[in-house]
Amino acid sequence: MTNLNRHPASFRDPSGFIYEKDGTVFRFISETYSPHFQKFISSGLYTELVKKNYLLPFEVVNENHTGQSDWLTTLLPLQIPFLNYAWEWSFEQLKDAALTTLAICKSSLDKGMILKDATHFNIQFVNGKPLLIDTLSFELYEEGSQWIAYRQFCECFLNPLLLAKYCKMEAHKLLLAYPDGVPSSLTSQWLPLSSKLNVSVLLHVHIHAKVGTKKNNNKDVREKPFSKKNLLNILQNLEDCILKLKPHAAVTNWNNYYAETILSNEYLTEKKQIVTSWLKTIPYKSVLDLGANDGEFSMLCAKEAFVVAADFDSSCISNLYTKLKTKKLSNITPLVLDVIYPSPSIGWLNKEHPSFFSRKNFDLCLALALIHHLVISKNITLDMLATFFAERCNFLLIEFVPKTDPKIIEMLHWRKDIFQSYTLENFETTFSVHFTIQQKTIVTNSLRTLYLLQKKA
Amino acid sequence: MMYLLYIDPGSGSYLVQVIIAAVLGLLFYFKNTWLWIKSFFTKPPSKTEEETIDDKP
Repeated sequence: MTNLNRHPASFRDPSGFIYEKDGTVFRFISETYSPHFQKFISSGLYTELVKKNYLLPFEVVNENHTGQSDWLTTLLPLQIPFLNYAWEWSFEQLKDAALTTLAICKSSLDKGMILKDATHFNIQFVNGKPLLIDTLSFELYEEGSQWIAYRQFCECFLNPLLLAKYCKMEAHKLLLAYPDGVPSSLTSQWLPLSSKLNVSVLLHVHIHAKVGTKKNNNKDVREKPFSKKNLLNILQNLEDCILKLKPHAAVTNWNNYYAETILSNEYLTEKKQIVTSWLKTIPYKSVLDLGANDGEFSMLCAKEAFVVAADFDSSCISNLYTKLKTKKLSNITPLVLDVIYPSPSIGWLNKEHPSFFSRKNFDLCLALALIHHLVISKNITLDMLATFFAERCNFLLIEFVPKTDPKIIEMLHWRKDIFQSYTLENFETTFSVHFTIQQKTIVTNSLRTLYLLQKKA
Repeated sequence: MMYLLYIDPGSGSYLVQVIIAAVLGLLFYFKNTWLWIKSFFTKPPSKTEEETIDDKP
């Protein structure tokens, strides 16, 4: 393929692949997929799923960019503004992704098709909604056949959600450790005995683990007719079980940060006013809000730009996701991200799924009430931070919290103050290497200073 | 079956689907029977219950 870049994660399915041409992502569909693709379109399944907001829409392009002889058609899908992965989703996001997958499978069965795979990799959060991005996942449903992706669905969605509910584990961390899904045998061992009282868990996890690990070469089982009603019962039961799941009620230091901390309402209101007025003075189309917490500041940017609201606290992101869903604010993508341990690049040759910070640079970064945590708790120096931001954004809206602030006094109470260079003067000198100060103001009734910085040309 | 080229469905997962379908079939049967009996002793059933009874295997 000349001047085309085949996507490094697109090699598993012989029915087609995605590639990039002049910065635009296309999907190649092979002739081998023809009967499935024809049915997918002619049955009205594509139109229905796009209407329901379950599927990434595409346009058909009648041009073979690749020169391959087995070409059937080319698709131009809606371009995804920021790739996101299950190891960055909160509980509520993984739950919605699971429910969408099941809903798609049910709609497909209605139209004589079925999902041949059901992994979290096939879902992306686009405009606030979990959308299926893999157009090649659909295949003709053969009357009497079982759901080939059943185990994959359980391991990629059900098991991490159950472990989050019953064992207080964080689903996104589990999926980074087990990208192909948490094995049922492990899940069954980890879940408490009480989980066996739930019929769905007993069936889909415990019995699945017992029976599923046995080598069963009995062809009769595979060939035994399996009615559509049976299949729908399984899908319905999985849906009922997942719908009822709620994350473990975790109260962290962060999920009520603004509501409960020493920070007053006046401080927050004034900070919002300052940020709003500064935002009017700069051009921006994409924003990364680091330490977004409840997303108050992400929302200020969302009218003008696409926003990624990141926080390391998954319950904050779960709350934010739910709030955005209720408010129908689709321009913000909330993701779980630990700035110290950001998502690595993983998969074959470390190229399949890129690391968080290599995916995109942003016009504007927000780092409000963030860097003192990185400096004081994590020993990241100011010049490391200045370089970090300079490599990511053109504009930086950042807050400096001095050592005299009650929050830092509290943080330094139990540890030795080895942060002599953490001063306002040093902050300005260090950041001035990469940025020019556009605006600077102290938030009234606090000791904190807000800055609007612009990257030097 | 071209999907078998790259997915290992695990033969055990076929067996488990047969077992689960059988258990769920029984559960739905009992649930619907119970709803049907209950409908004689309660006010006219709600729309959702009517639909469930129609689904009786």
